[in-house]
Amino acid sequence: MTTTAAVAQPAETNEYRGGLSRVLSVARLHYTNKATVFTIPALILTGIFAVNLAIWAIIYNSVPVADRGDVSEGLQWSGSTFYIFVYTFVIAVQAINVTFPFALGYGVTRRHFALGTALALLGLAAVYSVALTVVASIERATDGWGFGGRMFTAIYFPANTWYEFLFVYFAYFALFFFTGAFFAAIYSRWRIIGLLLSFLGLAILIVATLATIGAAQAWGELFAYLGALPPLGFVAWSFVPTAIAAVAAFLVIRRATPKG
Amino acid sequence: MTSVIEATSLTKRFGAVTAVDSATFSIEKNTITGLLGRNGAGKTTLMQLLTAQQYATSGTVEVLGATPVENAATLQQISFIKESQRYPDDFQPRHVFASAPWFFPNWDAAFAERLIADFRVPLKRRIKKLSRGQVSAVGVIVGLASRAPITFFDEPYLGLDAVARQVFYDRLLEDYAEYPRTVVLSTHLIDEVSNLLEHVIVIDDGRIIVDEDADSLRGRATTIAGPASAVERFVASREVLHTERLGGLATATIGALGEADRAEAATLGLELAPVSLQQLIIRLTTGESTPPAAVPAGTEQRA
Repeated sequence: MTTTAAVAQPAETNEYRGGLSRVLSVARLHYTNKATVFTIPALILTGIFAVNLAIWAIIYNSVPVADRGDVSEGLQWSGSTFYIFVYTFVIAVQAINVTFPFALGYGVTRRHFALGTALALLGLAAVYSVALTVVASIERATDGWGFGGRMFTAIYFPANTWYEFLFVYFAYFALFFFTGAFFAAIYSRWRIIGLLLSFLGLAILIVATLATIGAAQAWGELFAYLGALPPLGFVAWSFVPTAIAAVAAFLVIRRATPKG
Repeated sequence: MTSVIEATSLTKRFGAVTAVDSATFSIEKNTITGLLGRNGAGKTTLMQLLTAQQYATSGTVEVLGATPVENAATLQQISFIKESQRYPDDFQPRHVFASAPWFFPNWDAAFAERLIADFRVPLKRRIKKLSRGQVSAVGVIVGLASRAPITFFDEPYLGLDAVARQVFYDRLLEDYAEYPRTVVLSTHLIDEVSNLLEHVIVIDDGRIIVDEDADSLRGRATTIAGPASAVERFVASREVLHTERLGGLATATIGALGEADRAEAATLGLELAPVSLQQLIIRLTTGESTPPAAVPAGTEQRA
């Protein structure tokens, strides 16, 4: 072999582009296919909304005017937006499960992958929250799109102002993203066995907590505390499991290896 | 020459299986090294250890003078294309080629364009729906166009047809000549790549059994052919790897020959030919005492 003869320029890059740049590249990697993270969820949500709108119109036109207030109250139990949170969970699972081995092939460290992914998920949570806050505000301003319909201001979103909606949506999206990330990290590292054991561990943890509360005869106190909590305070508590899931996912992925 | 990869007593166990067993070797800067071995010999695991995708059970790896494990400065210089590479489910080839430059500072977009045309990769089809060969082509294009100082190709061309493989070899050599870099290529299509390789590492059952310059490896054995009686006379006092006989003619594979040996062979009217790298490695990895599985009728063999 004599091909080394013609040397044009050394290929080696001694310049190290810095951790932040790598983290941002990983975050960007998750947004490469815009359809997955923006177009598809928007389209499906629009579809669900259209069906809801049709149903609201049918109900609106078939009940006496006097009962319309009751109908609107009943509609607040709408779970139509639940899909978007499930989709959120799936995005997080895919972001780790499939993109992790892919990113390693690009020469990314696990640390940069984890940080970049967290950044990407927080970014998506922010964008989704803003989008839903906008439609929730329209829903309120138009008194349920003219039919007393409730989808984005359902009872599960205990908010009265736009910034409260923003807060609640963000908290929920973050919760779904990072619990998804947690289980995907477990799967990436220990496969199905790890997943089963983590479900088991979680179940034991919950039962043990309930048993402890019971043994301390603290149920009354707890309900009194939760009952006294303002709805937003209740939502704020979700940041505890979200943060635990995020930190745990980070630690788990730090030693994960790509499989098969 | 300076080495860019140094492995010392590198070992990886998965439970009871020792995938890489105390491997010690180094790879020189700006060379093309063939990592050869049978399926399951440990090629992929070894590459995963060198690229920090797997953690070693014991032993050390140094890449560019430092451990690659969670070392961003080192890993940024590495491109690792493996046959089993998974892509995000929703990715199309255009997404791969759009995102790769964010990670490889030396990415050459024009070169990538040319390779896309060479390999006829459809850009706007989900990778899941591509043929095996097209998926391989995506990896090959990333590996070449990334121009990473250290590039690993692990069986990069599964499903690629002969034309596409030749395109790969040609582009690799052209680009390597212009932009020298360290390439480690694992394959079992040994004859196809043997002209590319400057250095050969053979791994068998997790152990490194050959770590040698390709040229000296090729010189390790010679095939002689001629009248059976002459061949027999010539090999009588020499170490024989393999012989075959067909009627009155015979061929024998023997060890390295010196000047005097060559002269003697010439006087006996024997023809000398180099042994192909593939033949040599088959001999080395099947154990010299094991006869080849299929022996054509009318031939006999000695070992």
